[in-house]
Amino acid sequence: MSDAAMDRPDTAAVRMVAVLRFFWTPIVLSLFALAVVVIVWASGDGVIARTITDALIRTVLVIGLYIFIGNSGVLAFGHIAFMLIGGYAAAWFTMSPFKKSFALELPAILANNEFPVFPSAIVAGLLPALVAAIVGIPIMRLSGIAASIATFAVLAIFYTVYSNWDSWTFGASTLVGIPIYVNMWIALAWAVFAMFVAYIYQQTKFGLALRATREDPVAARAAGINIPTQRLIAFVVSAFFMGIAGVLQAHFLGSLIVNGFWLGITFLSLAMLIIGGQRSLTGAVVGVTVVSTIVELLRQVEAGVEVGGITFELPGGFQELGLAVLIIVVLIYRPAGIMGGLEVPWPFGSNRRVLAGGFTIVRAERAPAGE
Amino acid sequence: MLQTIIQNAVDAISLGSLFALTALGIGLIFGVMRLINFAHGDFIMVGAYALIVPSAADAAMMFIGAWPAPILVISIISVLIVVALASERVAFRPLRTADPSILLITSFALSFFLQNLVLMVYSGRPKGIPLWPNLIQPILVGDIRIPQLHIITISVTLGLLILLVLFLKRTAIGIQMRAASEDFQMARLLGVRGNRVIAVAFAISGLLAAVVALLFVAQTGTLSYKMGVPLVLFAFVATVVGGMGSLSGAVLGGFVVGIASVVFQAILPADMRLNDDAWVFGLILLILLVRPTGLVAVKALQERV
Amino acid sequence: MAQTALQSGVANMPDDTLEAFDISVDFEGLAAIDNVTIAMKNKEIFGLIGPNGAGKTTLVNVLTGFQKPTQGRVMLGGKDITGWAPHKLGRGGLARTFQAVRLFRDLPVVENLEVAAVGTGLGRREASKRALDILKWMDFEEKAFDQADTLPYGEERRVGIGRALAMSPRFVLLDEPAAGLSDAECDDLMGVISRIPDRFECGVLLIEHNMRVIMGVCHRIHVIDSGKTIAEGTPDEIQANPEVIRAYLGSKSEESRA
Repeated sequence: MSDAAMDRPDTAAVRMVAVLRFFWTPIVLSLFALAVVVIVWASGDGVIARTITDALIRTVLVIGLYIFIGNSGVLAFGHIAFMLIGGYAAAWFTMSPFKKSFALELPAILANNEFPVFPSAIVAGLLPALVAAIVGIPIMRLSGIAASIATFAVLAIFYTVYSNWDSWTFGASTLVGIPIYVNMWIALAWAVFAMFVAYIYQQTKFGLALRATREDPVAARAAGINIPTQRLIAFVVSAFFMGIAGVLQAHFLGSLIVNGFWLGITFLSLAMLIIGGQRSLTGAVVGVTVVSTIVELLRQVEAGVEVGGITFELPGGFQELGLAVLIIVVLIYRPAGIMGGLEVPWPFGSNRRVLAGGFTIVRAERAPAGE
Repeated sequence: MLQTIIQNAVDAISLGSLFALTALGIGLIFGVMRLINFAHGDFIMVGAYALIVPSAADAAMMFIGAWPAPILVISIISVLIVVALASERVAFRPLRTADPSILLITSFALSFFLQNLVLMVYSGRPKGIPLWPNLIQPILVGDIRIPQLHIITISVTLGLLILLVLFLKRTAIGIQMRAASEDFQMARLLGVRGNRVIAVAFAISGLLAAVVALLFVAQTGTLSYKMGVPLVLFAFVATVVGGMGSLSGAVLGGFVVGIASVVFQAILPADMRLNDDAWVFGLILLILLVRPTGLVAVKALQERV
Repeated sequence: MAQTALQSGVANMPDDTLEAFDISVDFEGLAAIDNVTIAMKNKEIFGLIGPNGAGKTTLVNVLTGFQKPTQGRVMLGGKDITGWAPHKLGRGGLARTFQAVRLFRDLPVVENLEVAAVGTGLGRREASKRALDILKWMDFEEKAFDQADTLPYGEERRVGIGRALAMSPRFVLLDEPAAGLSDAECDDLMGVISRIPDRFECGVLLIEHNMRVIMGVCHRIHVIDSGKTIAEGTPDEIQANPEVIRAYLGSKSEESRA
């Protein structure tokens, strides 16, 4: 990785610093999340804890989104399908047979059984990954924009089917009775896991190859890279985490409704990624943080703000409106997002700016215009 | 039996016409800007709500909606042309050189903006408004009952298509638009004013949206802030099916989707029928996989090595 | 000496060949290439010249899988590779540069080369080492960690060549590497090109308009005009060939004669 490190003696301390430097981004991001969780936990405020848990679940979702979109440059529009699949799968595995009998008519193996939550979560995450592998084989061959549209078609199909699949999903109604166990700590654990996996993926040759296809597909092919295969890998890994986000959501709210996995959350998750900066992991996390904070603020304002004895209340829809304006502003003035494709900077030495591949840039001024 | 088939056929063509007009609105802008305007459905929605401005009462009162037909039509068209041009100026012009996916998100954001704006002002409850209710009356052709509205929809669509073709082939600005669709940079180098061509595309798009809004409201009699969503989704499907970048493809796609919709609804057994939306999306997925460039491939979109 | 090419594990064979037989490419009735045959050997620097629009880049696209020939075969080391996809050819030992360079702009220079090395099957660490070795060989080490889109034009092209070489190719195809370079930069380029065969044990197919570069480094030259072969031979033979002179005087291409 770093040429400077190759000249120093190979003591344990030096190796530790090298490891620290290599994993700097996910370490810092995890510590940040941990710090937030600890502070909120110590304060004992249950309401904020729920908000933070929600934000951490969104972090898993957006990191999943980033793994594919950030590296491939293909703006997948249908990713929420995987969250939908994961969420309902978690319900099928973990709800008690008694509660299932109220709303659903499942095959015997699911209807009469109730499986432990952790293995269920894993399987519920693998299911959308499997779906992604299957639909991805043909879809990843399509050009960027056609692939985006095709993923949206996949979402639309699943959304429509699940909305009408009364016996398995309770149709358009809210399915309740899912065991609730996700709190801040569990959501944090998954978020940290997602950060490390995403980071490691982008350091591997697969991540690198995929980023090359994002930059110039023609040159990437000439360089020996099989574009559909590389995209498929990221697509499947990404689907797993989005499935997990669905699982976490199900076990956090204790309920599911198909309508919650449609355009609203699609837009919100994309907004978070783009505002934060779609080309880096730090961008994904920053995006979730910033947008969640803003949404929370807007929600407070919507609920009513007191100014000098008068309560200002904004009508429903204001949150989304504010978010829509924000995203348009970001896209116009800073299309690369807040992080602009950079990861957490390494604070020591002169090479501070870190790109997704882990390399630092020595000089970053653009060549003068006139190319 | 023949009666049912013909009635269904008219249904299908009428629905297809609405989709075709919507798809055209999307296709025109895609042609000159490579932007898929998801907010187009919401332009339609805004046009529909313009009928009751400024009444925000629960029982909606028609304001513009109560004016005589020609003035009503012209007013709504004007409103939407303004909305479309404003959107272009504020949201899309600064992003003109951006990635198509960025443009797509922007249009998505604009769509959200418009929906929530209307939501804030008019609340989420759908409103019933009677627009030209006598048009639902069927006329009798032999044994077949065809709602007048369907006939009007189909004829208006045909008329607009003919006008549009003449516009694109015979007028100076129309030819410039076609040139810009083929190769924007080259057209600009040859003297075509990019801003003007794009503005015209948006203006026509606004006009088409207005027509669809009126026909759609006359047909369904309701307003809801989300009414544009299914329209834009299906029109989007139509554009993809027909081939992105091709206007004839958009029209063709619109009719294909309209017909497929009605056909699926008619032939599927009752319990599967609810999933007919899924079938339509499944159709585009299939088409995309078999022919990624859509039914009418456009050379201009292929990259040179 | 040429160690790195061997380090990848597979030594390039001294009697390796790249051949294209009777290649024709039709674009909607227009013959872009008409029955062209080319044969080049390992460690040879083979030039391909012709007036603008003669079909040179189309031929390179055929050789590297970006264009299917309407007729004809391409053989690498005696194996039929006609119609193979570009990435498969890349892995098979056929590397190329592009007229438009096409660097991976957001990535650092060294990663641009790493990608190509990874594309031929190397792990990240070995790819990194190979990339740095090549950059060192090209005297480009100091800018290894600069983002590719901060480079000036001439340096971009150098990185493009480095990227192709990072694939440890059996044959590397350079598409107009000298376009837009100053005389001094051309001299540098000629130095680099002439050292490639020994360092990498591969053959070089060089498409160029710049006659100084062509005459200065090529062992053999093939001339095409309007899609057809009009001559092949050593630089001296080509310079003296009346057909070639006629083809060039009759066209509007701008180049400097040696």
